[in-house]
Amino acid sequence: MFATKKLILALASTLALAAQAQLDAGTPAAVAAKVALRGDAHDVRIPEMRVVRRNDILIVQADLLNSGKSDRTVFYRFRWLDNIGSQVGDGESWKQMGLLGQAQQTVKSVAPSSVVTDFRLEMNVER
Amino acid sequence: MSRLTSCALLLCATLGLTACETTSPVVRLDRQVNYGDAKAVELVTNEFGSTDLQMIAEKMVGSLLETGIFQGRPTVTISTVKNKTSEYIDTTNVMNSIQTTLVKSGKVRFVRSIAEMQQGVDELQRQNQSGLYKQSSTAKVGKMTAAKYTLEGELTSIVKQSTTTKDVFYKFTLKMIDVEEGSIEWQDEKEIRKTSKR
Repeated sequence: MFATKKLILALASTLALAAQAQLDAGTPAAVAAKVALRGDAHDVRIPEMRVVRRNDILIVQADLLNSGKSDRTVFYRFRWLDNIGSQVGDGESWKQMGLLGQAQQTVKSVAPSSVVTDFRLEMNVER
Repeated sequence: MSRLTSCALLLCATLGLTACETTSPVVRLDRQVNYGDAKAVELVTNEFGSTDLQMIAEKMVGSLLETGIFQGRPTVTISTVKNKTSEYIDTTNVMNSIQTTLVKSGKVRFVRSIAEMQQGVDELQRQNQSGLYKQSSTAKVGKMTAAKYTLEGELTSIVKQSTTTKDVFYKFTLKMIDVEEGSIEWQDEKEIRKTSKR
């Protein structure tokens, strides 16, 4: 049980490091740990993420900032996890969002149930 | 002898690898058909699609759960969802997705809608009037729980088209109304813009 927990933690930190390596330096490490980025961030970073539990439901907001001058297309979705790291529900649908050059947009999502205690923001950025 | 054994082993390994070539358990004809990701962003045409349905349902459920209006697990029913667009859209599908996620959240109880009521009445009549069932096991008439709230919605669209561009703007509005008081207790909307270029 302890070994499994250690393995999960090691895997989580590896994944977090991988995400951190791909995101821009303007994304804090604590935020990068919650992001699962596929491919290159193409100048898109997440300077801030706000997490609040309201009415026993987890609510997440993430600011996506395009620090480059060219427009970007971001595909994203939130993955909701329970206290042992298992996925809750079937998963959200992927969303497409246009992000203008040097513009910031906030994405928001609400957990589908009270058992959700953690999350990941899955995303990839197209030029 | 040793060389012979090595050769034999190599041959066996090669044959073994050839035998290990795997095939997928599918029945496929000439036409290329594949299963895709049901949650992927669908960008085939401008018309109302699966991603629109999913985004609307997620936004409405999130907004409802966030407000905390469901404290005490109140009873809710689904009323009409008007389709005021020029497209044929099965709006029941949107409401089904909303209802499914809300039921799974455990925060609310749904009771039969008008569309589902006849089936409930038929089953009650079968149990109570057919004479087939033990009296102790039948569901009693007059015990249904009425809805405290009703969900009413509508979907509208604005379509603009030029020679090169088509722009479709969808707006889905959902209201939760207190049946007894007739007051709107919650309301939200989801706007979607889809633009295509030739």
